[in-house]
Parts: sequence; C-alpha cells; structure tokens
Amino acid sequence: MTFGMNTEQLQADIDNIRAAALRELEEIENEAASGADHASRRLEAWRVQYLGKKGPLAQVSRQMKELPKEERPRLGQVMNEAQRVLQDRFGRAKQRVEGLALSARLRQEHIDVTLPGRTPARGSIHPLTRVIAEIEDVFLGMGFSIVEGPEVETDHYNFEMLNIPKDHPARDMQDTFYLTEELLLRTQTSPMQVRTMENMRPFAPIKVICPGRVYRRDEDDATHSHAFNQIEGLVVDRGIRMSDLKGTLEQFARAVFGPNQEVRLRPSFFPFTEPSAEVDVRCTNCGGSGCRVCKYTGWLEILGAGMVHPQVLDGAGYDSREFSGFAFGMGPERIAMLKYGIDDIRLLYQNDLRLLRQFSSVF
Amino acid sequence: MRVSYQWLSEYVDLDGVSPQALADALTSAGIEVESVSPRVERLERVVVGRVVTCDAHPNADRLKVCTVDVGQDTLLTIVCGAPNVAPGQRVPTALVGAQLPGGRIGQAKLRGVESQGMLCSAQEIGLEVRWLPKAQTEGLYLLPDDAPVGADVAPLLGLDDVILDLSLTPNRSDCLSLRGLAYEAAALLERPLRFPEPDLGSEVLDAGASPVRIELRTPRCPRYEAQVVTGIAGGPSPLWMQMRLLAMGVRPIDVVVDVTNYVMLEWGQPLHAFDFDEVRQGTIVVRQAQPGERLVTLDGQERLLDEDVIVISDAQRAIGIAGVMGGENSEITASTRRVVLESAAFDPASVRRTGQKLGLRSEAQQRFEKGIDPVAVRGALLRARQLLQELAGAAPVGGVVCAEQERRPQPPMVDFSPQRANQLLGTDLAATEMAQIFRRLGFSVERVSEEKWQVRVPTRRADIRLEADLVEEIGRIHGYDDIPATLPLGPTTVGMRTQAQRLRKWTREILAGLGMNEVFTYTLGHPDQLNALRLAEDSPYRKMIPLLRPMSDERMALRTHMLPGLAQVAAYNLSHGMVGGSIFEIGRVYWPLELPLREQPQEVEQWAGLWFGEQPVRLWQAARAYDFYDAKGVLEAWLTSLGLGMRADFVPIQDRDAPWLHPGRAACVRIDRELQVGTVGELHPETVQRLGIGGAVYAEFDLHKLEACLGGAWKAQTLPRYPAVRRDLAVLVPQEVSSAQLLAKAAQAAEQAGDILQDCRVFDVYVGPGVPEGQKSMAVAFTYQSDERTLTDEETEAVERAILRAWEQAFGARLRGEREAGAE
Repeated sequence: MTFGMNTEQLQADIDNIRAAALRELEEIENEAASGADHASRRLEAWRVQYLGKKGPLAQVSRQMKELPKEERPRLGQVMNEAQRVLQDRFGRAKQRVEGLALSARLRQEHIDVTLPGRTPARGSIHPLTRVIAEIEDVFLGMGFSIVEGPEVETDHYNFEMLNIPKDHPARDMQDTFYLTEELLLRTQTSPMQVRTMENMRPFAPIKVICPGRVYRRDEDDATHSHAFNQIEGLVVDRGIRMSDLKGTLEQFARAVFGPNQEVRLRPSFFPFTEPSAEVDVRCTNCGGSGCRVCKYTGWLEILGAGMVHPQVLDGAGYDSREFSGFAFGMGPERIAMLKYGIDDIRLLYQNDLRLLRQFSSVF
Repeated sequence: MRVSYQWLSEYVDLDGVSPQALADALTSAGIEVESVSPRVERLERVVVGRVVTCDAHPNADRLKVCTVDVGQDTLLTIVCGAPNVAPGQRVPTALVGAQLPGGRIGQAKLRGVESQGMLCSAQEIGLEVRWLPKAQTEGLYLLPDDAPVGADVAPLLGLDDVILDLSLTPNRSDCLSLRGLAYEAAALLERPLRFPEPDLGSEVLDAGASPVRIELRTPRCPRYEAQVVTGIAGGPSPLWMQMRLLAMGVRPIDVVVDVTNYVMLEWGQPLHAFDFDEVRQGTIVVRQAQPGERLVTLDGQERLLDEDVIVISDAQRAIGIAGVMGGENSEITASTRRVVLESAAFDPASVRRTGQKLGLRSEAQQRFEKGIDPVAVRGALLRARQLLQELAGAAPVGGVVCAEQERRPQPPMVDFSPQRANQLLGTDLAATEMAQIFRRLGFSVERVSEEKWQVRVPTRRADIRLEADLVEEIGRIHGYDDIPATLPLGPTTVGMRTQAQRLRKWTREILAGLGMNEVFTYTLGHPDQLNALRLAEDSPYRKMIPLLRPMSDERMALRTHMLPGLAQVAAYNLSHGMVGGSIFEIGRVYWPLELPLREQPQEVEQWAGLWFGEQPVRLWQAARAYDFYDAKGVLEAWLTSLGLGMRADFVPIQDRDAPWLHPGRAACVRIDRELQVGTVGELHPETVQRLGIGGAVYAEFDLHKLEACLGGAWKAQTLPRYPAVRRDLAVLVPQEVSSAQLLAKAAQAAEQAGDILQDCRVFDVYVGPGVPEGQKSMAVAFTYQSDERTLTDEETEAVERAILRAWEQAFGARLRGEREAGAE
C-alpha cells in the first residue's frame, strides 16, 4: 500500500460519506413535511451518525493520523470542508424540521375561540339606585351634602311646618297614609327642608339634597305608585335668587340629560314655596320637536320647585328678612324611566332579573 | 274644571284670541289648561225642524213617517223610530249630507220609504247626555217652541263652543269662576274686561220689609245674606242657560236651581234656594248641629250630623248642611212660589271636614273650602235676584237681609319693594314695569317711597297676603322665561357623602361586581308574610306597624323583615323562567318601640341578600344549586373590601337568633368576636316550604352596626424582605372539630413556638375511603415568614411539631401518612 493510494482512498471515502449524508438529510427533510416528529427523531440519529465522535467521518479523521505529514494538510482541508458542509446543512435542516414540527403542534393545539370565556359572574345595580347615585353625584359636585330623614313622619313636619294646616285643601294634592292621628308615611321629602334648617341653624349656607322613599294613597298603574322616591333639594343663604334655582337646575339637567339641555320654569303652586314653579326639560326622546313621550309639547315636566316660603324659613329659624332660599323636588323613578326607556313604573318594583341583568352592561 | 270659551268671552274681550292661544296664555301663567276641545266634535247641516205630520210606516210597526218643516219650500219626508215623536214638535233635524259626531247622514230608504234626513236625539247631536235629565235623553231631543225653524242648531245650542279643561292649583280658587278667569285673562292678554260688577254701595238694605229673619249662632259663619222673592213660575230655565250649564258640566234642573248654579259658575259664590213656605216662622238660624241630629239631604240620603257640622235651620229644624247640601224638606219643587236665596260665607275648614265625613264633594263645597270672595256674597245674590226676575217672573219681597259677625273685609294692603322683588327673582325689571303688571291685575299701588310700595289687593285674590306672593305675580305675569340662569354667589362648600352613604354605595358596587343583582321592593306588606319565618308568637318581628286606612290587604303594614320581599322577587323570577339568581336589597325595616304606635319607630337600614335556585350555567360547570359557601364567599369578599376581612368571623348560629335559617347550616357574623352584625345561612326547610321557592341561602346585615366597625385611616404594609416558606399538613380529626377550632389551635401553638406563622388555611376536607368512621381529613396550608431572617428548615419544622402536638392534645389529631393518602 503506498502513501499516495492511501490518501486518495481516504479522500474518496470522505467524498462518499459526504454524499451519502447529504442524500440522507435531503430524505429526512422531505419526510418532515408529512411527519415532523419522525423526521426530528431521524434528524437526531443523523446528527449522531455523521457529526458524532463515532461516526464514519470521525473514523476517517483518525485514519488520517497515519498519513505522512506532508499529505495531511490537503486531506485535512477536504475533511474540514466536508464537516463544515454537513454541520451547515444540518443546522438548516434542523431549523426546517423544528419549524414544521412546531407548526404541526400548534395546529393540533388549536381551541374553539368562539366558546364563552370564564367570566367572573357580574351583577347589576338597580336602575333606581343608579339614577339616584348619578343625581347625587351631580349635586355633590356642586357642593351639596346628602341628608336623610325618617319615612315615618309627623303631621307637624310633613304638613304643618310646610304651610299645610289641617283641613287645608292643599292636603288633597297628596292623599296620605296615616299610621296614627299624628304619624304618617311621609308624602314628600320636603319635611327634610324644615328638619335640615332646624339642625343647621344658624349656619349658612345650607346646600343639601335629600333622597328617599315617599308614599301616597295612589292606585298602582303605569305612571302611579303607592310608594316612590323623591330627591329634595334645599339651598338657604343670604341673597339666594330664583335665577340661582334656574341656573342650578340647568346644570343638573345638562349633567343628567345631556349638554344641550334647557330648562323651562312654569308658574305653579306649592304651599311651602313662593314663587313656585314646575320645571320642564327639553324632551329627551325627540329633543324638543314634539313626540308621543312629550305629548307633542317638546317639554317634559320633571320637577317642582320654588323659593322657600317666608313662613317656612321663619318657622325653621331662618329670618326671612335676612335669608332666602330655593327648594326643589324631583322623582328619580320618572327620570330613570325617561333615561332608560322604561314605560311602566311598576317594572322598577317588579325586579324581573331579565330587566335587572341588562343593567350590568350600562356604563 | 270645564270652562266655556264662549261664555268667558262675554266677560273679557277675546276677539282674535283663539281658544288655544287663551289656553297657552293661562298655562304659562300657572293656570294649567289640560285640554282644549270642541264641545261637539263635528256638527254640520243640522237645523231646527218642525214636525208637521206623523203617520204610521206602511211596512214597520215601530217606525213613523213624518213630514218636517225645515224652513225650505217643501217639507221633508223623514222616517223616524223615536217613540216620542209627535206633530208640532221642534227637533234637531239632520239634513241629507249632515255631519254628526257619529257619522254622516245620507239619503236612505227605510223599509221602502225614502227618508230625507234624520230627527235627532240629544246623544246624536253630541249633547252631554250624562248631565241631562233622563227624560231628555230618551227619544228625540225636543227644542222649545220658540226655536226658529230652519235655524242652524250648532250655534243655537252653543255646540260650536270650545271647552277648556282647567287643572287648578288649590291657591287659585278665584279661577273657579268665570269672573276670576275673566280678570286673569284680561291681565294676561291685556284685553278689556267686561264683567259687570254691581255697584254694591247703591243697594239699599231694606231688611225691615223682608219677611226673613237671620240669626247667626256660630262663629263659623261670618256672613249670611238672604233675599226673598215671590211669584216664581217654575219649569225649566231657558235653553241658552241650560246649554251654558251643560257646557260647564252642570246638570240643568229647573229655573230656580239653574239660576243659583249659573251664578255660582259666574261669580264663584255658591248660592242656595230654599222654598220659603217651608222655612218655619220665616227664620233662618245658622248654628252647629246637635249631636245625633239627622237631616235628609237633597239626594234623599239621611245624614247623621255631629257638633262639628254647621247647619242651616228654621225656627224648628235643620233645613240644610251649610256649604255642602240642602235639605229635602225645603227643596224647590214645581209648586214652589216663594223662595229665599242664601248667599253666605262659611268656615272653609269646617265645610271641608263635613264634606269628607259625609263623603260628599259638591261644587259648592269645593268653592267654600278654598275660600270665597266676600265681595261676591252680595254681588252674586243681586245677580241671582235679577235673573229670577227676568227668567222666572219673580218679584223681590223687600231687600237683601244681611247678618254679619265681622266687618266686611277691606282689600288688604301688602308691602312691596321693587328692589327686593328683583333681588328675589334675580331679575332687573324697572319699577314702572312692575307697577304696570299690578295695574293689569287690578291691584292698586300706593308709593310710600321709591322702595316702599303698598299694594292694595282685591278680595277676590285671597291667595295674596305677603310680599313673596306679589313677587310671584310679577314673575308670573312678566314671564318666568325671562328669569336668567345664575348660580348662588355664596361661599364654596364641599359636597361629600357621609360614611354611612359611602358604605351603601360601595356595598352596591362591590356586590354587583361579585355577581349579585340589586333589587328594590315595596316596604308595605301583610303580616301573614311573616308566617314562613317560624317566629315565636311574641317575636318583635311580628310588630308590623299597620296603616290606618290601607288601600289593599296586600299592602297594609310596614315591613319588619327583609326576607319576605326578597322571597317574593325569587318566586316571581322562578315562575318567569329563570332557574335562580343572587339578589340583594339595601333598605329600611321599621321597628316600633311599642304598638299601638306612639312615636316614630326605629328605621333600621339593612342589607339583605338571597341566593336562590341554581347558579347560571357556565362553561364546563354542571348546574348547581347555590349553597352556604357561595354566599359566605361573597360576604367574605365584601367584608374584606371594607377592611373587615380579618376582623370578621362566622360562628354557628343559635336557633333563636334566626329561626328562619337551618340551625346546622347558618352562622352569625361577628366583628372582633363580639359585635354581631349579621347572619347568613341556608333557609330552614319549613321556611323554604312555606315560601315556595325551593332551597335558598339568606343573609342580612345591620348596616348601621357595620358602619360603626369601619376603620379610619389605613396604611400599606411594608413588603417582606425575607422569603416565605410554604408547607402543608393533612391530619385526621373527629368530624365535629371545626375548621375555625383547628386553625385557632394552630395559631396559638405557633405563637408559643416562635412567632413565624404568617397564615394558615384549610384547603381540603375529605371524608371517605381511607378515613376512619367519624373522622375527617383536613389539609392545611401554612405560610411561615420572618421579618428578620431567612427561615431554616429546623425552625419551621419545630413550629410544625408544636402545632401537631397541640392538635393531638386538643383533638386527638393524627398526621395523615403518605400511605393513607395513597389510599384515596
């Protein structure tokens, strides 16, 4: 065996191994498209086979040490080139096979994204308390406090102190549930005007609202209820004007019904205010052009108001020559019905979950 | 109140003012007009016809064939089915092509006879039949003999009138009369007034010549005036008067009564006419009724009177209830020839009480109880006397007799300052403009100085007594629209919710976030609703405060407990297709200190929740009924959100505390181990059965007590610097050992063994194969941590041994070995 033959033999071996390895790699890559898992196992076996320490190239490498010194560098170059090519091709094949394997796994792992999520159960706040809280927030923002009072009231506070003596026709305006001669279910939140003034005198200014339940002997129907809510408002200070009432209610209307709202005052009568007014806002349904909701007037009556009657002021300890004030009373049921398009007041007390649950998606 | 536009326009010039324009002006001034509608919707080509002949119909027994003169060249042939048709009658006749409220009249053949129109009944021409005597509504409506043949019926009967329906506020009783409305309209529209005010000063009181004597024996009748007339020819009042009464909704009766009603509508002063021949000894006594006194009133009812009632009596007996209704014994009849007319003022409150007690609400009473104009007492009496002379052939006997207990009230003077008026309204009106408004209203102004006016207000406007009332008149007539919108000028104030208010708002938001639906129920209920609650006979919950006059049985008393209301909501929803829900309400219960009620009850703000039926279906979760732990979990989350999570504990309930709950599945919730703030538990099986809602969990809390527990300022804890160690233990303990007992013992032992136990909680409870009978396996997770160092295994194991020892001593607990665990 000559040195030369030996060298050529080895070079041929290297070339053969390299060609076989590349053929096999190509096969694996081709197979990967149809079975990425199998291909990646074969790929690993290929790596051990051709790039491992026990593979045929490593064997040739070991044989090369037997060659004469001057022969080694040339063959070494061939060997390095073959190893580099195989390494390189292996890297690319691995990337490709892994990519295909990942896509295959991802395909397999797909879920039905249209199934419902595991939402934590969400409940709802009742439309009435929502509206009351909203109105409270508007007045809190204007510096009002919130006061509350008893629903079982005395005749004294519910009527007498509000200029409605016994046997006065104004009592017809509110048919009353009596509990005894003197005790009754309040027909209005207005007694809180007097109670608040009595509690706060001689402090000024007074700026309060008072939400709460009231009761009247009305047959329940779509627009009447024997029990409903009111929100009373009271401002007492030196120099309070009727224009302040209008301005305050305009702010309220814009906050609750929208920025373009207007308010309209119409003369009216309440025994405990003078002058008195009914207050309208632009119809929330048609915007004022006239529709069924506003009976084609363009306006909706939403509250009663007026300047606190001098006798009420004096009776509660604020000298009417020094102080003046305004008061108003509104019905959150009516406002909730207008706001949410509920056409029967009884629905607010029916507590049908099909209605209530709708309010879990009202921002 | 119904108001005839035509009649009103007689007293104020409404030329060119449409009924709608009038209504708008009144409404914007506070006299609310609810509707404006034609008296009769459509009535055309209906004329006065005179029946000339009336023969039997050849083919129909019930029909007649009439010839009718309608002022045309030829007579019309009209087939008529009315039983009362007769020759000579004048009746409303619809010509062919006529428009009636019920439809159009065409030429028609009736049983073979051509009919050229229709003879009409009251109903057919749209008359207000509900206020017509029955005789006039059956068959044809007969017109008086002087009705001009061929004349259009609509104007003749005032059917072309327009009716305004007023909804008056109680202060404006002056507008319960055409006189008052005429003044108001004249002021608003700046139109000339045409109401004839008689000159009261010129009336000579010739009491001596009058046969009537008046005695006032009660202070509740400040003034009583009477006029006797004689020679009354009875019978109906003229057609025009009947029609005006009908238009205003008043029943025509006979000429005397119609005149009193007519004048009442005109002047707002109720009048009464007595048959003077029934007034014994010609004496009228106004007095309080005697206890037990009886009187049969005009409606034929016998009324039992009491001392609070003012009666009109003659020398011997009561003949009328003052201001409310006359007596049958002195009623005007067809044979009445002499009449005494009463015009008086009675105490409004007394008239009101009497009317309420007797269940009567006459037109007169409504006017008296709101107060009448003292000037009208005489004015109306003179007007009625004049009308009776003109229409009933009456002649006055003597003059007006007047008895009064106080001087005729002078128009009051009210102080007024233009500057203060502007200040109160927030306007900038000129003084001259204000003076002008008062002039329009018929008020006279005396200027004491620039800033001090005295305004003389006519007695018809009794609602005006104070400066504020005059300010309202200024604002009202000038127009509220011209009041600017400003904001109060005073110091800025801070608006904030109180702690109690914040607690309620927070609670709503948190619990809605935790899946509960807020409800709002009525507070009035029936005591029977409590029967489901298994309350003791003497339970304070049974003290529901009853209403004196409930409207229904269902709503007759104030609730003392929240459960019945919530249970009703549950029942409603279950019967409407829902499988369950979790609901809560924040509201008051009303606990009387004693019954019968003497003082205001306690109104206690409560939170109550009910978890009923099944939870909403969720993905990969089987439908499941709500149980105790669902409720407790929500409550724990809520209490934690209030900063009370660590301070609240749930302890087994005493049966007495809440008999409506299952005694073995209910807990009291305490704060700091002492203050009980609420209860929660599954409903007692008997309660469930009686409520008919299936199983449910109910909880209630006293919000006031809870609020008292809320902490003040809060600070964040510094984060731990050393790592925590987590270890689990599973032990076998007797069934009756509670989780709370186990954990409390662990905490106690750990504290003694080195204060490093941060947290411990039960994460599993197991009963079944591998666990001896009567025992359960409880798995507890421990977290150990120190602020000062990283813990060693020796340290945590030492504490763990101490815990196990303590458990063993207290409960005989055994560590559950791995082999046993494997048996699961």
